[in-house]
Amino acid sequence: MQLTDEERRILDGACGEPQRIALGVLVKLGDAYGADRMVEIASAHIVGSSYQIAGEAGIEIYSQLVEQGARVKVRTTSDPGSIDFARWREFKTPAAYAERQIKIAELLGRMGVIPTWTCTPYTTFNVPRFGEDLGWSESSAVVFANSVLGARTNRLAAYIDVCAALVGSVPRFGLHLAECRRGEVLFDLAPDLSENFEDHFFPVLGFFVGQRTGDRVPVITGIRRATFDQLKAFGAAAAASGSVALYHMVGITPEARTLEEAFGARPPVERIAVGRREIVFTMQQMSKGESGAVDVVGVGCPHASIDQMRRYATLLQGKRIHAGIELWICANTVVEDMARKMGYVETIEQAGAKLMVGTCHNDCPLGAWGFHRLVTDSGKFAYYTPTTVGAECIFASTEACIEAALTGRVERP
Amino acid sequence: MSSPHVMLQGKGCAPGDFEGEVVVSQQPFGFWQGIDPQTGMVIDKRHDLCGTSLKGKVFFFPYGRGSTGTPGIFLEAVRNGCAPAAIVNMKSEPMIVMCALLAEAFFNVRIPIVDGLDGNSRAVLRTGDRVRVNGTTGAIEVISRG
Repeated sequence: MQLTDEERRILDGACGEPQRIALGVLVKLGDAYGADRMVEIASAHIVGSSYQIAGEAGIEIYSQLVEQGARVKVRTTSDPGSIDFARWREFKTPAAYAERQIKIAELLGRMGVIPTWTCTPYTTFNVPRFGEDLGWSESSAVVFANSVLGARTNRLAAYIDVCAALVGSVPRFGLHLAECRRGEVLFDLAPDLSENFEDHFFPVLGFFVGQRTGDRVPVITGIRRATFDQLKAFGAAAAASGSVALYHMVGITPEARTLEEAFGARPPVERIAVGRREIVFTMQQMSKGESGAVDVVGVGCPHASIDQMRRYATLLQGKRIHAGIELWICANTVVEDMARKMGYVETIEQAGAKLMVGTCHNDCPLGAWGFHRLVTDSGKFAYYTPTTVGAECIFASTEACIEAALTGRVERP
Repeated sequence: MSSPHVMLQGKGCAPGDFEGEVVVSQQPFGFWQGIDPQTGMVIDKRHDLCGTSLKGKVFFFPYGRGSTGTPGIFLEAVRNGCAPAAIVNMKSEPMIVMCALLAEAFFNVRIPIVDGLDGNSRAVLRTGDRVRVNGTTGAIEVISRG
């Protein structure tokens, strides 16, 4: 890799230990993947903010960096923590566990990380611009920043994101290069599916695309319109079931105004037809459980927007969720505040549902609840639940999720 | 019976030199929710190695299924002395290479990684073989059969 004089000085230790260690790791990564040089980033977003991910090893790393005087060099936001800082007792989080998450919060704060505790930093705090280079982790945020906003970031791992934040640059390879952003696999929607593409098909299609794409760049044709939240749900599912870090949706995403643009004038290496049959089959695959009584319903993965909060409030207006059932809605603190001002939180809480703020169903220790069957409208949550929560999981539309909370029962698709 | 001292050539992805026993899996592997960092045991119930310890082993798996949280679990295993000592893949994803770089930077532990082995090479390695892995040159030497 070509290094600047300044970068050589950093590697010689002239700018302190944290900088030396961080740049050293990034340069080795660049060497392993054929990067030509480092590239400055506009921001970082870090996933090792959760105790469930970072663990004691993370606390050790962050403590060492803080002792050595580490400070982030660019705007850096945090992914969800493993607790709702205000309500962790309500969610039966053991005090000793909460204490470790609070320790991580303190260490990240001392490094200058903005405590956003959200997987959707691109909505408010950390909004990338088209063409900007970033150093982000959190697979659902990476795929959104690359695909929907046209920013450029590889899928960084936990701690590599911290290294990027400390030096303000990343090795230039992969998705930082235009030639690596061209589509490779074409997913072509059948006309009848294209005409009636329902809201809850977005995470299902994402799950299917992730399974069939691997680490290549998928291009989807036949989606006529998509909301911000639908693209968020699609990408999160594709990034969970596969390793999709960038997709193009022709006519929808900014680097795919036409099919030719999406593929960079090359032919697809593979074409996959998607019809109703694939959607139904995938929805069944996403449901690892039987129809019957439900213990918990989880929505807001990735974190709910204000539009989604309105939708939940509308569906719950004047109703009461079934006795013994939990309905958990994940969101970040800004959306919570706005939803409270709009009266949605009052409606949601009167119905017996709970807000889970700044954390994630996937990240909380839920063992104490003894859940057996869970329902979600999230493709990402459906992918991880069988292992993280240890419960059966049924995928359903948002409306069917709320209905399951109200009746206490669900039918598998 | 194959003769020992078979040499395989891959591509070095993370530096280090290690000699030890190999554990071979035919399935992709994800460390996140795949390994217990307190013991080094495979805990993914869907995996062919479930119940096998990776602690101190040369771990061969074809390619990774990596969540961005992978280094969280991986470094926890390194910190506890329960991580694999070397990794060999057909294709190493960046996530696992990042884990090895971080282990060296923050815990002073070198975990050599070699990738680029083809299907034939995979058939040569068997669980229990004693091998030597060089993460710089990409050379893998089968020293004795298990």
